[in-house]
Amino acid sequence: MAYEVNGKTVEHDEEGYITNLSDWSKELAEVIAKEENIDMTDEHWEVVNFLREYYDEYQIAPAIRVLVKAMKKKFGPEKGNNKYLYELFPYGPAKQACKIAGLPKPTGCV
Amino acid sequence: MITTLYALLYYAATIIFVVGIAYRVWGYWKTPQPANIVTTPAPVTRTGVVWRMFKEVAFFESLWKSNKWIWIFAMMFHLSLWLIIVRHLRYFIDPVWTVVVLAQPFGKYAGFFFVLGGLGLLFRRFVVARVRYISAPSDYLMILMFIGIGLSGLLMTFVNKTDIVAVKAFFRGLMTFNWQPLPADLPVLVHLGLVAVFLIVFPFSKLLHAPGVFFSPTRNMVDNPREKYRPVPWLPPVSEVTFDPPHGSKQS
Amino acid sequence: MAEEEKVIEELTTEEALTDPLYVPEPVEGATEHVRSFPAAPQFQEKLGYPGERPENWQEVALAKMDELRGKFRSFRLFLDICVKCGACTDKCHYYMGTADPKNMPVARQDLLRSVYRRYFTLPGKWFPDLVGARELTEDVLDEWYTYYFQCSECRRCSVFCPYGIDTAEITMAAREILDSVGYGMKYTNEIIGKVFDIGNNLGLPKPALASTLEDLEEEIEDDTGVKVRLPLDEPADVLLVTPSADFFAEPHIDGLIGYAKVFHALGEKWTLSSYASEAANFAMFIGSYENMRRIALRIRKAAIDLGVKRIIIGECGHAWRAAYQFLNTLAGPFDFLDPKYPVPQHICEYTWEAIQAGKLRFNKEENDFYKVTFHDSCNVSRASRMGNYPGGQFDIPRNIIKAVCNHYYDMPEGTIKEATLCCGGGGGLLTDDLMEIRKKGGSPRMKALKQASEEYGVNKMAAICAICKTQFSKIMPYYGYGMDDIMSVHQLVSNAIVLPGSEQEAELDGTDENEATEAAE
Repeated sequence: MAYEVNGKTVEHDEEGYITNLSDWSKELAEVIAKEENIDMTDEHWEVVNFLREYYDEYQIAPAIRVLVKAMKKKFGPEKGNNKYLYELFPYGPAKQACKIAGLPKPTGCV
Repeated sequence: MITTLYALLYYAATIIFVVGIAYRVWGYWKTPQPANIVTTPAPVTRTGVVWRMFKEVAFFESLWKSNKWIWIFAMMFHLSLWLIIVRHLRYFIDPVWTVVVLAQPFGKYAGFFFVLGGLGLLFRRFVVARVRYISAPSDYLMILMFIGIGLSGLLMTFVNKTDIVAVKAFFRGLMTFNWQPLPADLPVLVHLGLVAVFLIVFPFSKLLHAPGVFFSPTRNMVDNPREKYRPVPWLPPVSEVTFDPPHGSKQS
Repeated sequence: MAEEEKVIEELTTEEALTDPLYVPEPVEGATEHVRSFPAAPQFQEKLGYPGERPENWQEVALAKMDELRGKFRSFRLFLDICVKCGACTDKCHYYMGTADPKNMPVARQDLLRSVYRRYFTLPGKWFPDLVGARELTEDVLDEWYTYYFQCSECRRCSVFCPYGIDTAEITMAAREILDSVGYGMKYTNEIIGKVFDIGNNLGLPKPALASTLEDLEEEIEDDTGVKVRLPLDEPADVLLVTPSADFFAEPHIDGLIGYAKVFHALGEKWTLSSYASEAANFAMFIGSYENMRRIALRIRKAAIDLGVKRIIIGECGHAWRAAYQFLNTLAGPFDFLDPKYPVPQHICEYTWEAIQAGKLRFNKEENDFYKVTFHDSCNVSRASRMGNYPGGQFDIPRNIIKAVCNHYYDMPEGTIKEATLCCGGGGGLLTDDLMEIRKKGGSPRMKALKQASEEYGVNKMAAICAICKTQFSKIMPYYGYGMDDIMSVHQLVSNAIVLPGSEQEAELDGTDENEATEAAE
């Protein structure tokens, strides 16, 4: 269970979340995104970057609501809403975006 | 020869039955039920629980909610069984109690319903794919045993009439250790043989549902876990526990 | 594949697609391929279980079975007394949704009972084939792992069993035995470890929690003009313990806002705890009293440290069971709390009491877009109570909804209250790797909802369980609903509540803000 990036292998768990968070790179994000059938656009990157920043500060991904609020501030209400986030990451902004951002999967009743 | 065989069989069967059930029930009794796991909505008083349990064992309330066909056959089967048992007391007591005398005519015909109920349950076991799937050979044999007991009993009562006075003498003799000969008719031997099997099998089988239902914690507990403190016997009291260290001290 | 075709045939007839209580004919092996990821050693060890399967695993497993037989009357009795009458065979939503006969409650129990019979009963030792007894092999162990994680421990079967046999008890024991030989489930066990380390299922550390709560305070102020607080780790009268999903997930978070508004409107001194920032107790799912207690003790400690008088539990089904049936037993006695209140209380009991006392003001029109039904969560319905009479757990949430909504309708009889159908994600199955069983197990509930939609135009379903809410938000889109058609009961409360001094109050009373504030004072 590993991704291949620039000839380097990066271990991941059963569900595709990387096991060593420091292995993350932008190239890796593109690779994971491809496996998830996602073409990374600027908006995708905006989400991923925000998740990583938030994680840096709090050691956890933000609640969707917090993410929505941040997107709203940045791009206005048209892109700062739940529906749009699901369009970007159909399998849930929290779980799918976390995977691409190289963060652990949020666990629990979520 | 047959008398001796059956006499010994019945002593053995009775001992196995009584000791076996006592042993199993003792096991249920002494095993703790640490948490209150009553299936709710449940009564909040002891009296309420007695009433719930009464409805459960006398009317099969849960089964009624669940499946009307099983309920009808099971009800037929068990009610007849009780009548039959009461009626049969006359072969063990002298003089015969009034209630047993009163039960006599009903008990006699209850045999038909007993067999009918058994056949219904057996039929379901064969015909309903879901029930067939969960049935082991012993489940079929168990019903066949009851049907066999019923049919042989009906035969003795209505067709090939047995010298019932002699049968009573045999059992009274067993009770007073003064053996009397057992009439060696085939229906009698089959009937008594199967009943002995029933007594022996009881403590080792699902027949334990009869005493067991009274111990069922989802039915016999009062819905009062907030009011009544029930400690877990194998866990130390809260005064002796160590709590996990404060939040945020470790992060994965 | 022939089997697959049979399953499709069984589950796609007109009747199968519309009748919520439709019972398919059994199709063997229909879901034997659905298995969750086992737990890695590091997750096992944190819970006191071996990380790897020991050499003598059979001995260990059988010894564990024997131990549990001596510790739990339920387990001992239920293994003995089932008569295989078949009453439960059509009652499990996983059987209804998958047609796999091993998902029939009695058949699920028999996976373990057959082994019990082989090693612990005379007939099983002497005549194994006659009584359906079998050896404990590796295949059997795998089968346990597969099918005991296709049970949500919802207790629907126990309602219908003439002896009250509760498959949940067998499932919990089976999972405990599996854990004892290093065969745990990743989802449940990783999460329990997080509670030990950080305090909640999510792994939400205190600073993140504090920041989320601040965000919510801002949001409420934006919406209402009132400064409603969500205090964390402050001395208070009420300790609110709620599932951590309420801090994170949609629609849960709106429920949390609802609790906060109710507390605010009543002037309650309340607090959340970062140490006990989780009402859920996944150790219940795996039948481990030791681990369950460790989580329950966090609530005790938080209550002592914060000097509260009462403990209130937020909207969560199994958490309410863990609190109602287990908290006192595992972490009691709670003689240091105010004896006027039961320990613990449900947030719905609290809110309903205030509504009855006329202390809350609502504008029901705020919920007029919604035609609401209520999904009874399994653990609330069959393993707990609210209020002081049996069945209060059905009435109180409905009463609250009716107090804040004009349009309320029940789903069909036989699918609600004590016979309620599980959402399909309970009991530790709420993980992506079990999505197939979740979707199928949720289908009876979805069909019941559809009937209510067709008959009354119901467009929203409210629930009081974090698992139900997440599960529905994931599976409802497969059944033609939106992911936001599942709501928290306290979200409806939050929509309708008119806080003193709020913009909503001003609008209603036709005064400007200043006057309204004066009036409130």
